Amino acid sequence: MMSSRHSSRHCDGGRTYESPVSSRSKGSLRWSCSRKRGLDGSLRRCDGQEKADQSQRCAENRSSSFTTPEGDGPMSRCADWASEVEQEEMRMGVRQDVQRYRRRILTADFNERERKTSSGSSECRDSPIPADMETDEAVLMRRQKQINYGKNTLAYDRYIKEVPKHLRQPGVHPRTPNKFKKYSRRSWDQQIRLWKVKLHAWDPPVQEGNDLQAIDEMDLDDVMEIELEACDSAESEENTQCSKNTKDTASIPADSCTGTPSKVMKTEANFDLS
Amino acid sequence: MENSSKEDYRIQSFDIETQKLLKTALKGQLLQFHKPSAVDLEKVSNVIVDQSLKDQVFSKESGRICYTIVQAEAKQSNGNVFRRNLLNRMQKEFKAREETRSRSIQEWVCYVTFMCNIFDYLKVNNMPMMALVHPVFDCLLRLAQPDALQNEEEVDCLVLQLHRIGDQLEKMNEQRMDELFFMLRDGFLLQQNLSSMARLLLLEILEFRAGGWRLSETAHKYYYSEVAD
Repeated sequence: MMSSRHSSRHCDGGRTYESPVSSRSKGSLRWSCSRKRGLDGSLRRCDGQEKADQSQRCAENRSSSFTTPEGDGPMSRCADWASEVEQEEMRMGVRQDVQRYRRRILTADFNERERKTSSGSSECRDSPIPADMETDEAVLMRRQKQINYGKNTLAYDRYIKEVPKHLRQPGVHPRTPNKFKKYSRRSWDQQIRLWKVKLHAWDPPVQEGNDLQAIDEMDLDDVMEIELEACDSAESEENTQCSKNTKDTASIPADSCTGTPSKVMKTEANFDLS
Repeated sequence: MENSSKEDYRIQSFDIETQKLLKTALKGQLLQFHKPSAVDLEKVSNVIVDQSLKDQVFSKESGRICYTIVQAEAKQSNGNVFRRNLLNRMQKEFKAREETRSRSIQEWVCYVTFMCNIFDYLKVNNMPMMALVHPVFDCLLRLAQPDALQNEEEVDCLVLQLHRIGDQLEKMNEQRMDELFFMLRDGFLLQQNLSSMARLLLLEILEFRAGGWRLSETAHKYYYSEVAD
């Protein structure tokens, strides 16, 4: 699934790390000579002129995303490894979501048909796969990113703690827009906006700076001690969502001093900490 | 994933401040009231990278430590500050690798070991990070060049990495693995100034890959019969 060995010298691909040996133009010449067609599909000539043209094209016509035949799908340009990895991670997550959603719809559909046939209805559903489901990966990725921004807030955190799913009332409680439904770009963006506005109702109250100062003055020894103490007392599995690092002026509720979540403790490697 | 060495790395080899930092990081440091500031996590990642570049023993183990911290941060605060900073540092070092190599072979070798260790341990949804595949190959191919094959240190590093992650790398990009092995065959056959140890290492790795990243029993006997188990 990876591209040919010369593509590591791509000048307009997603990889921008440099080879120590070749200069940019030398790299692209080497690359271009092994390819029959240029970016625009026209047949290339393997000579200097091509090189000049090509580097110029590189500089000017960089679209914001590209697809390679050997790639998995549309990729946006990542200048660095960290972003590439994050994007990869999100793409995998989105794909898993797609599978899950499809299964859910199929099951729901199936149950619906069951119900109808058992009740003697002559109607029957034809296609089990929802025809109007958004499947474009680029769109799903973009939407997921927007959802992530909304979810990665203290407000959302407090919201989900306060109102469990089964107690949510439509209209009253904010509901995450469904990225799999077909909406126009404007409609979707508007839904996201409204959702985030609604979530603000759960913003934490702003507190004095005093609390934070006191914390900074603690040194690591104290911190370690307190942590070890807290670990002894029982903690629940649900307590995995602690403070978020997105909001710096966040208040720190006095009653949230439970120990390291058990999930985290289990991930400790057998690293000698003595 | 190869099992790491039997000795767990001792935290005492770090200075006191660093020890504290690492301890908190490893215990999922992220207390409710002591927010894992981005600065702390960055600090930790820098400490780990710096140490990995100096200490070859550590560079073989740091992947595991990093994995623990990444998981902890993800679970606790859904963040990836640590990983992001780690990868940024690694990328920076990658760009400067030729300089590093000319300055110190030891450091260069540590870097490659570290990079491969990260590749091995830091998986995304149980898959190796795609972003690292080409860079890792670039490093290994550098090690397979004539000037590097002259140094036993570099050959040793090369074969060690291939033992640990060769099969995974091949799955991600078979073509580049072929490219690497063309160079290794050439080096083995044609290069005049290889030490006999270097030749032995190269022959072993050629056989290792040919056997599907496993050494046959007889081959194992040949290469390792003198080595204490």
